[in-house]
Amino acid sequence: MQTTVQRKTSSKNRLNPGGRYWIWYILPALLMYCLFMAYPMLDSVRLSLYEGTTGARTFVGFANYVRLFTDPEVSARFWGAFRNTWVFFAYHMLVQNVLGMLFAVVLTNRTMKGRQFYQTVVFIPCTIAVMVTGYLFKLILNPQFAGPTLRSMGLGFLVKPWLGSEKTALNVISLVSVWQWVGIPTMMFVAGLQGISEDLLEAADIAGANSWQTFWYIKYPLLLPVVGMIAILTFVSNFNAFDIIYAMATPDGAPNYSTDLIGSLFYRYGVAGKHPIGIPEPGVGAAISTAVFFMLLAGVVPTLRATQGKE
Amino acid sequence: MRKLTALLLAVLMMAGLLPALTQAETVKLTMGSWRSDDAEKVQALLDKYKELTGVEIAFQPTVSDQYNATLRLQLDNGTGPDLYYSRSYAVGQELFDAGFSMDCTDIPGVKENFPESALDAWQTPDGKVFAVPFAAVSQVIYYNKTLFAENGLEVPTTFEELIAVSKAFKEKGIEPFANGIASNWDILECVYLGMLPNYVGGADQRALYESGEKKMNDEAFLKSLQDFAELAQYLPEGFESLTNSDGPAMLGLGRSAMFIDGSWTCGTFADYGVEWGAIAFPAPEGATPAMCFHPDMGITGNNATKYPEEVKAFLTWLATPEGAQTTSTYLPQGFFPMIDAPITFADPAVTEILALNDGKVLDARFVWAKLLNMYTPMVEQLNALTKGETTPEAVAEVFADEQAKIVGQ
Repeated sequence: MQTTVQRKTSSKNRLNPGGRYWIWYILPALLMYCLFMAYPMLDSVRLSLYEGTTGARTFVGFANYVRLFTDPEVSARFWGAFRNTWVFFAYHMLVQNVLGMLFAVVLTNRTMKGRQFYQTVVFIPCTIAVMVTGYLFKLILNPQFAGPTLRSMGLGFLVKPWLGSEKTALNVISLVSVWQWVGIPTMMFVAGLQGISEDLLEAADIAGANSWQTFWYIKYPLLLPVVGMIAILTFVSNFNAFDIIYAMATPDGAPNYSTDLIGSLFYRYGVAGKHPIGIPEPGVGAAISTAVFFMLLAGVVPTLRATQGKE
Repeated sequence: MRKLTALLLAVLMMAGLLPALTQAETVKLTMGSWRSDDAEKVQALLDKYKELTGVEIAFQPTVSDQYNATLRLQLDNGTGPDLYYSRSYAVGQELFDAGFSMDCTDIPGVKENFPESALDAWQTPDGKVFAVPFAAVSQVIYYNKTLFAENGLEVPTTFEELIAVSKAFKEKGIEPFANGIASNWDILECVYLGMLPNYVGGADQRALYESGEKKMNDEAFLKSLQDFAELAQYLPEGFESLTNSDGPAMLGLGRSAMFIDGSWTCGTFADYGVEWGAIAFPAPEGATPAMCFHPDMGITGNNATKYPEEVKAFLTWLATPEGAQTTSTYLPQGFFPMIDAPITFADPAVTEILALNDGKVLDARFVWAKLLNMYTPMVEQLNALTKGETTPEAVAEVFADEQAKIVGQ
């Protein structure tokens, strides 16, 4: 009793020096975070209230936001890109993450031979640069270059300008991106599944559960925090996606803006400007990214609440 | 003691200054550019210049589609290069109006050695020159000589013949053209704006459209769009997903007989060992042949440079016939100096392409001077027209509406 009292009144000792000593541990990270994350982010919010390129910037209040949501051309592009980004996200969520879980369940099956090999195969595309993936698939999907090969294999019906049609381009690019990144959720699910206690699975086995029941009632609920984490990572990376569109469709989101994502829209308005004038409007670009930031926030917070912290 | 410290400090400062003083003798300039593809060749040119004058210039190109934005940012922050490539017309003039680009009007030779058509692209309405004209490009149709010979076809001289030849190739199972629309720029810049001067005429006629005196849904424009739509039927299978960089390969591998592109591509065909030739875009029967010869690259100095004398000396050198001759031996094939002096090229094919200009009305790309805001709507309309989603008549109406928006301002 005496010891606890002593600890409460004076917690200073060699192991616990007291005071705000902990601040020194987080200070370096905090400084880096403020300098390279928080400050630029807040500054971009500030930038969204200004007009003009650098140097001669003038304060315009919320004019950029008004323009973003009311100007017929700009708002059509914004909502078009917004819709496309959701489609892009849906593909990753429904195809990439579901496939990832399927692969993970198969890869953790102890009776299968060559697990290491398949695991590597699934993960290899993640290590290829996006520009390279994009370029390769552009050739594979090109009717002029891949057409003769496909026809000689009797697959002539596959010879179509997949990336040139407004109906197919976004779907095809989404699937290429899914192909490239499916290894990431697979690895995370594999790690999650390996962490499940052997006792639980054995108990289920003794109780007579079949493999579907084992998955659905034991593995899946225990994987839920991983599912939530992957959902958030997918959400954030898809709403920032730009490289695959740049590589496969041009930053204009060709054809006819059907593959325009928030990322490419931001690039056109905020970074490069529209060809051939090429003078960006950083204010509008910042308004786009700020609007998207709040949308991401609105998506991420409930997802975190729903899936995390149910220990 | 304090005196000693002060003395020591003074000596140290002098020592610090010393290298700066000696360095002043070997001036090192930088040059900004959007031609990152040409880095090696241009650096060789600049090395040659160093050999001649002792002034070192480092070539620092940016990716083309980010050049305007990057340069603007550098200039705004006072970190701009001493010399930089200047876009023609309004985009280049903006930097002059903002006070960044040097006034080149009094650079010796600028006013004397360049034709009016070249100066026009880098000149304000009141006659101030904001960059020394450096190079122009022309829009041409490349063709595979072997395919034409094997199929007994003549190189077309009129638009009607071009269509007849295309039809003949298509019937023989050879793609007439290698052009696609996936890059979202060449269908306008190379194909449509390449053929347009044959329909509307040269700079004097362009001025009438720019002032609104002529409407972009008049007979000439309608005819150009009808012919464009006819031509579009001969684009290759899957043209929707073909990019501009697929073209040279298709022509080079003999997949297609012709490729409508710019003179800047002519150096790439050598890789395929193809027998190629180039023609100007043929005019419709009875029309005056005209051609798109586009002033593309100018070079100007940064007003904020530390070495204005050296920068001016380089610009002066560029404006001399000797400078232009030296330049053109180092420039990539298909970029033509605009100086009023006979220039020889090492590559006879390049000389041939430049000779296509002879006897033709020449003009820059139609929208570049004053109608640049029409660029995006025009690309959108032409894309739709190639896919058969709209008609030439409807497109002409959209053109006229967009023109009215700009001219009416």
